[in-house]
Amino acid sequence: MLKIEDLKVSYKSMEGDIEVLQGLDLEIQKGECLGLAGESGCGKTTVGLSITRLIPAHIIASISGRILFHGMDILSMDIEEVRRVRGKKISYVFQDPFTSLNPVLTIYRQIEECLKDHTDREARIAELLEGVGLSKIVGNKKVYPHELSGGMQQRVMIAMAIASNPELLILDEPTTALDVTSQNQILNLILELKNKMGLTILFITHNLKTIFRVSERIAIMYAGRIVEIAETDELKSKPAHPYTIGLIDSLPSLAHRKKRFNAIEGKAPSFLDMPVGCKFYPRCRFKLDRCRDVEPRLNWFSDNHASRCFRVEELIGHGIDKGP
Amino acid sequence: MELIKVHNLKKIFHRQRIVAVDNVSFSIFKGEIFGIMGESGCGKSTLAKSILRLIDPEDGMVLYKGENLLEASSPRMRALRKFLQIIFQDSYASLDPRATIGATLEEVFIIHDRLTKAQRRKKTEEILELVGLDRTFFKRLPFEISGGERQRVGIARALATDPEFIICDEPVSNLDISIQAQILNLLMDLQKRKNLTYLFISHDPDVISSICDRVAVMRRGKIIEMGLCEDLFNNPKDDYTKALLNT
Repeated sequence: MLKIEDLKVSYKSMEGDIEVLQGLDLEIQKGECLGLAGESGCGKTTVGLSITRLIPAHIIASISGRILFHGMDILSMDIEEVRRVRGKKISYVFQDPFTSLNPVLTIYRQIEECLKDHTDREARIAELLEGVGLSKIVGNKKVYPHELSGGMQQRVMIAMAIASNPELLILDEPTTALDVTSQNQILNLILELKNKMGLTILFITHNLKTIFRVSERIAIMYAGRIVEIAETDELKSKPAHPYTIGLIDSLPSLAHRKKRFNAIEGKAPSFLDMPVGCKFYPRCRFKLDRCRDVEPRLNWFSDNHASRCFRVEELIGHGIDKGP
Repeated sequence: MELIKVHNLKKIFHRQRIVAVDNVSFSIFKGEIFGIMGESGCGKSTLAKSILRLIDPEDGMVLYKGENLLEASSPRMRALRKFLQIIFQDSYASLDPRATIGATLEEVFIIHDRLTKAQRRKKTEEILELVGLDRTFFKRLPFEISGGERQRVGIARALATDPEFIICDEPVSNLDISIQAQILNLLMDLQKRKNLTYLFISHDPDVISSICDRVAVMRRGKIIEMGLCEDLFNNPKDDYTKALLNT
């Protein structure tokens, strides 16, 4: 449904242009939920914003490549064409629902605004509110954003995003600002809507646990690159990139009792000061000398599993002791 | 040894008519990591602040080695604060944006110890090293460093007075997974090395389970279930706890 080819994005900054994405390729299949995971500042939101052309023009130094949506290149569309797609066929839900809502308008009015062209608005709004489980609360039309909890606000954002029956829904950290219970309710809602409406979802997050629950496939990003792509179960059981292995080892769980985590040391590199070879080299447990000078390519070693690591065969063949 | 004993502690926000902490009692033993788990708004941060008298509770007792903090005079309380510290969730909001990391940490020694400038400088560098930051951080400002590094500064500030008891109020919930694991490791290492006692607050059962010895589940200002982590997580009794764990 959506195919990103060789996407390059650079931002302007005081210290010169920053190349955040350097030729990113990614495909989203119809009907799937693809998880895009990585640490803050790794470029994952840039991917989402590029698809919807939402990056403010004045901070872009350059952008190139192709983003094909049903064969049409979003990047070469003029703004009128973009508007016919954005919000209608592709919707976006942001991390912080409170700043995305207008504080001085009622929730009802804001949902109504998304449905300007609709003839039977009242019925449609009722249906949307029912769909996200808010009929009882927002039904009286007089509720303002600050009167709702974070989880409810996020439900409103989702209702607005699906109002136009989009084909692709981009969720950018939709549960990060919420606590565990509301997080789970939102995830259940997303799964339910996906099944009911046949939505295709790009789920952007730094929280591996949430995408383990909702995504069929996962792409792991590091320093502006995709370092691993696999189906969720395979990624969990056979991670093939040292970064993914480190992330999985870093996950707290009920089973993990009072032990040190096998954590990834150090921090992600700055885009202004990138290592020459593999970008993960300084933090890697499995590094070789050549990783310092040469960056590995994304290697599709099976039909649906790729990793950007020279030692992929050893990692999946358990040739390397993954312990500390 | 019972280091902290909280007895029938109560905090009411009169204007909002909310009983944020409702007759809460528990004890924390020396060298233990005691968890408080609950959803946002359940009163867990209010409880933390009431224990340290950062806000004043209405009623109850907080005993530190048998001494009731709620009745301590203000000079006495100031002296005791040296041993009772807190690490906040939002590391950025809890640092002065215009003070360098070095100045922020040195201030602790100005308040609590009578040291020369050179001694203060040396102690600050030691404490930075203890939390895994090199001396280049001395001259940096809060906005120049990452969230994980800022949280290390928050930990350094709490450790600077050589405390016995530290409240960690959601110290990792704003951090990326890989950084979260580093900070949890650091907290566990320091606890062992210095035989510290923590009250560790989190909404995340996975995080609590990973670090705590015992846990209390809090809901609407009350503790509804309390026990060893192994027992409580494997065999929760209360329906609310079950719901929290199943989600």
